Amino acid sequence: MIKLENLTLSVENNLTIFKNANIEIPKNKITVLVGLNGVGKTTLLKIIAGILKPQNGKVIKKSKELFYLPQRIKYPKGITLFEYIESSFYKKNWKWFLNSEEKQKIEETLELLELSDKKDTFIENLSSGELQKANIALGLVSDADTLLLDEPTSNMDLINQIKVLDILKKLTNQGITCLVVLHDINLGASYGDYFIGLTKSNDVIVKNRPEFFTPEILNKIYGIDFKVINSDKDFHIQIFN
Amino acid sequence: MAIKKKLTIIFILFLLLILSLYLAMYAGYKDFGINLFAKAFNLGTDDDSLILSILRYPRALKAFVAGASLALAGMFMQAVSKNPLAEPYITGISSGAGLGIVLSILLFNSVNYSFFGFLGALISSILVILFSGLSRFSVVKLILIGLSVNIFVSSLISLIILVNPNKSYTMMLILSGGVTNNEVISNFSLILIFIALLIFAFFLVPKLNYLRLDSELLESNKLGKYSSVILIIILASFFTALSVFSAGILGFVGIIAPQISKMLFGYDYRWLFVSNLLIGSSLILFADYLARIVIYPLQMPLGLVVAFIGAPVFLYFLTRKGEFLND
Repeated sequence: MIKLENLTLSVENNLTIFKNANIEIPKNKITVLVGLNGVGKTTLLKIIAGILKPQNGKVIKKSKELFYLPQRIKYPKGITLFEYIESSFYKKNWKWFLNSEEKQKIEETLELLELSDKKDTFIENLSSGELQKANIALGLVSDADTLLLDEPTSNMDLINQIKVLDILKKLTNQGITCLVVLHDINLGASYGDYFIGLTKSNDVIVKNRPEFFTPEILNKIYGIDFKVINSDKDFHIQIFN
Repeated sequence: MAIKKKLTIIFILFLLLILSLYLAMYAGYKDFGINLFAKAFNLGTDDDSLILSILRYPRALKAFVAGASLALAGMFMQAVSKNPLAEPYITGISSGAGLGIVLSILLFNSVNYSFFGFLGALISSILVILFSGLSRFSVVKLILIGLSVNIFVSSLISLIILVNPNKSYTMMLILSGGVTNNEVISNFSLILIFIALLIFAFFLVPKLNYLRLDSELLESNKLGKYSSVILIIILASFFTALSVFSAGILGFVGIIAPQISKMLFGYDYRWLFVSNLLIGSSLILFADYLARIVIYPLQMPLGLVVAFIGAPVFLYFLTRKGEFLND
């Protein structure tokens, strides 16, 4: 669980991004972070990851290890998926080769992320969905139990988006906590357990799904009108502009 | 399997190195031929032996060390800056080492060349890095800053040489880019320093396999507490200085060898380390062979030959689908 108390942060020109915000991210759930461009989604992730320091407030982390995945990643060429994941093991030691234990760990992680059959594929030949899963694997092999993912599904087709989100859902059952920035609120609504909405007026709205997806709250976040269709069979959000 | 293929490539590169070594040592005006290869470990006092021991062997040694050092310096600098253009010459670090040597001739009359060379290289690399920002080098910024440092330092060297006519010959000899006897450093200490640097490098190479991950990813996950980066920069400066001691200021090798290596092996620095060592040394050995024979009986400056080979290859990389700069 991650808890932010009385979070305050303003950047240059006295532009306030957070003002006494209280946020809680529950364990082993997918929490979806939504909001317009520039309201501070990435900033919030960076505060939680410890890259940015808020001017005021407390960040309480009750997790083993956090893994922050930035929006745009550059990939080294000419190495296989397996070697890409290997990279993170060269962090500490001076050794030239991984031991069998570490290799085993990579195999298991790839298995979990349904990437085993791609392990000998060159990085540049993987699909965007597979690449994103490879990045998640990097986090998992470094023992992260909390993933902070900044738009992990941007630039992906629908199938790849669903594949990545399916994996995240699966991971939460394995004891992983996810905080994900998503722009597609329909997808977000069907995969998220909890929702954080950031508004232009520096409000932070934290709610579970039925409470979050109301026309009033969505209007507060996006500034346009929404219609939420929520029956037992059907749940989707319609946009009126 | 993929490893077999890579081993084959290494083997071919090794054969190329042997060929270049042979050309550098045994071919030329006085052609010793392959049957005298055995002479290597059995030198007497006859003319042939003297030519080999006084002229050819030291020269080949210096060419080997210079080429390998430049290629490895380039590899380390590129791995840290994630910039395929980061290279001892372009970034002005070679000139920094040159300035160090020139100053040591000027102020201390030919003692401690090597110490001042290292110092010069280190200071100029720190300057370049400070100006361009440690983790986020942009290609353009690094090159422009390196270029400025390079021009400034080179002008300084020219000025020093100009106002000290009595010492200018020694200075010119050292900087002109050649592997003739130049007294900067004894062959024995050259070998010793080179081996020491290789051992140092051996321990840092696996780190490069870690640093190949996206820089923002490294930075943001405290994966990348860049402690080893400082060590790598020091190492690259040392390699650069060593190359300047043995062969003067040479361009292109530090870009070309790493680039060819990457095309052959991808971003696995354990392979790239070996590959750069082989390709860099072969390149300079071969260039020195050409320098001796092309306009015989005159010798071309090594720097010229390297530029004649290097510039077209470099242009080829630059124009190839624009991959190079978007790396």
